[in-house]
Amino acid sequence: MAHPLQDLVHKGWVWQGREAAEQLAPEQLVSSGWAELDRRLGGGWLRGAVHEVQVQRDFQGELALLLPVLLAQNKPCLWLNPPCQPYWPGLRYQQLKQAPLWLHESEQKQALWAFEQALQSEALGVVVAWFNTVDASAVRRLQQSAAKHQQLAFVITPWQQTTEARAYVNRIQLSWAAEQLQVAVLKRRAGWPLPAFPCSVERHLPERRRLSA
Amino acid sequence: MRQAKLWWFLHVPQLLLDEQLSLQSQEQQQRPQVLCTSDGQRRRQVVQVNRAAVAGGVRVGMAEVTASTLLPDLQQRDYDEDREVQVLRRLAQWLHQDIAQIALYPPHGLLLAVHDLQRMYGGYVGVQRQLQRRLHCIAVEYVVAAGYSPLVAQLLAQSGKNILSADKAVLQHELGQVSIAQSLLPAQQQQQLQEVGIERLGALLHLPVAELGARFGRNMLSYMAQLKGELLPPQQWYHPPLRFRECLDLLTEVASWQQLLFPLRRLLQQLEAFLQVRQLSVTELALIAHHRDKRQTFVRVAFALPLWRQRDMLQLVQLQLERQQLKTPALELSLRAEDFSAREVQHGSCLPAQQDAHTQRNEQRQLQALLGKLQARLGEQAVQQAQWVQDWRPELAQQWQTSAAAQMKTAISAHLPRPLWLLPEAEPINVSDWQLQWGPERIQSGWWDGQSMVRDYFIALDRWQRQGWIYRTCVSYQSNESSEQWYLHGWYS
Repeated sequence: MAHPLQDLVHKGWVWQGREAAEQLAPEQLVSSGWAELDRRLGGGWLRGAVHEVQVQRDFQGELALLLPVLLAQNKPCLWLNPPCQPYWPGLRYQQLKQAPLWLHESEQKQALWAFEQALQSEALGVVVAWFNTVDASAVRRLQQSAAKHQQLAFVITPWQQTTEARAYVNRIQLSWAAEQLQVAVLKRRAGWPLPAFPCSVERHLPERRRLSA
Repeated sequence: MRQAKLWWFLHVPQLLLDEQLSLQSQEQQQRPQVLCTSDGQRRRQVVQVNRAAVAGGVRVGMAEVTASTLLPDLQQRDYDEDREVQVLRRLAQWLHQDIAQIALYPPHGLLLAVHDLQRMYGGYVGVQRQLQRRLHCIAVEYVVAAGYSPLVAQLLAQSGKNILSADKAVLQHELGQVSIAQSLLPAQQQQQLQEVGIERLGALLHLPVAELGARFGRNMLSYMAQLKGELLPPQQWYHPPLRFRECLDLLTEVASWQQLLFPLRRLLQQLEAFLQVRQLSVTELALIAHHRDKRQTFVRVAFALPLWRQRDMLQLVQLQLERQQLKTPALELSLRAEDFSAREVQHGSCLPAQQDAHTQRNEQRQLQALLGKLQARLGEQAVQQAQWVQDWRPELAQQWQTSAAAQMKTAISAHLPRPLWLLPEAEPINVSDWQLQWGPERIQSGWWDGQSMVRDYFIALDRWQRQGWIYRTCVSYQSNESSEQWYLHGWYS
């Protein structure tokens, strides 16, 4: 008779300590630029991985959150199907070194193909892709490509209703509360999901104040 | 034994008219036709005449009026030298199949170097046979003469002597018969020679060269040396335009591009060999599927970086073809390429500074390869990169370009807090939903090109705490009166 724990393991509800013991070389981690987030992700974004950022609505602060990573790139970054036109003067004001490559492809299958091609190229910095949904097998493929070519990629997607598993290494969820961007970690490499915590992305946003009437 | 140098000169006095005749029907060719020059006020002169017109008494150099009086139904057209040179070039390209060294003497002559061909065609007789066979195919009136220097061949041919002897004595004898009027000497010198009773080149050749030089100057010395075959001035050899054209008969009708991939592989293999020999690479191909009813389907394939290996080209062509559909079955497939470039040297270096440049170049190449692949499958407009443009108007401050090849311009100072996103079209909003935070920044520009704007921009928070870039338009330059319509133009996060 199987141990009741076995059932839980099969369901993937049990976190096993083995992975934590796996030591990562520091160069395999890319600092997110936010100390509080780095700490929760075990040192930063894992290189050679696809990470998911769920947003309540577009332009919520997801780009500000990713900006430190984008700024660290010397190679051009690819933006796949962003919700609107990236504005180079504004990105340049934030000290981005290279104008992003903007790829627009409305057909999901083609877009995923392009995403995979981008992950396989060493010429790109970070790949950021916007998708409404990506099915589990596509994510697995992308994750494999990213791991094989040590490429860092982000998928920005609306809050997902289903709790179905995806092969993303980290999954975080953004919301806005008490005038601060709240980041909840839904899945991380070595640890339990974590409740929302405030992340001070204001550094990359215009200063907030009330206009004196 | 060293081969004596030998040239042939092909003189085609009526090239343009012959070309036009060859496009006409038999019956049309029988009608008298002439070409005339038309230079301003001077009376028009006949320069080229067809056989029917010659039979009617028309001659070259005749006034047009005279000619049309002789033959009332004479067809006249304007002579166009540029066109004739084009035809001559085509003729040279066609002869290039047999002869490597051809020099153009526009508008009516081609110089062929035949001495090197003797071994190839089995002696001088073989050369004669080969070239005459080729010349017989052309419907052009020609005179061809041999010469032991380019000038001799030219003089003989232009004076209408069809002589292909390789014997210097025979040629010299013929040369002696050429009149001074056809000597190609400057008109003044011709006149001077004729005044002292020298009518033919033979007489000129008997004169002592030193004295001729003293009398007529240096040019005469060089002319005499060429006549005697002592001086062989270098020629500008004709190089046919480099192009690749191959065609494959498919034997059966093929209905889809996928089935064409196999023959395509062979064509690309040939292209690779072509490029390898010349150390070139290619950036653009044209694929043409020929259908039963003579129609063609044309597919252009452009590469983001120069390629020469068959498998690289095949990969990209394949991606491109996956988007295409062959509407009607094809009988033949042809591949054309004209856009070649010399290969870039790829060398690794041990010096650290150069190594840096090397990796950078390598990265650039990889980026080009990726873009090439994406553009081949998704279309050329699929991937774009922004370029900075000096303009105050926000929507004109950046431009999208399809290739990342354009390097970022140096030292762009971005000192204005612009948003990270710009909406393609400003969106009308209800300002009561927004909380103004910072502003206004007035942008007033573009009065010079009809796209003038006067706008007050604000940074504002929407209901979900998102920072937007919004503006209201001002009614006119003078008044600060503003309309109440607000627009959202960008996002900051």
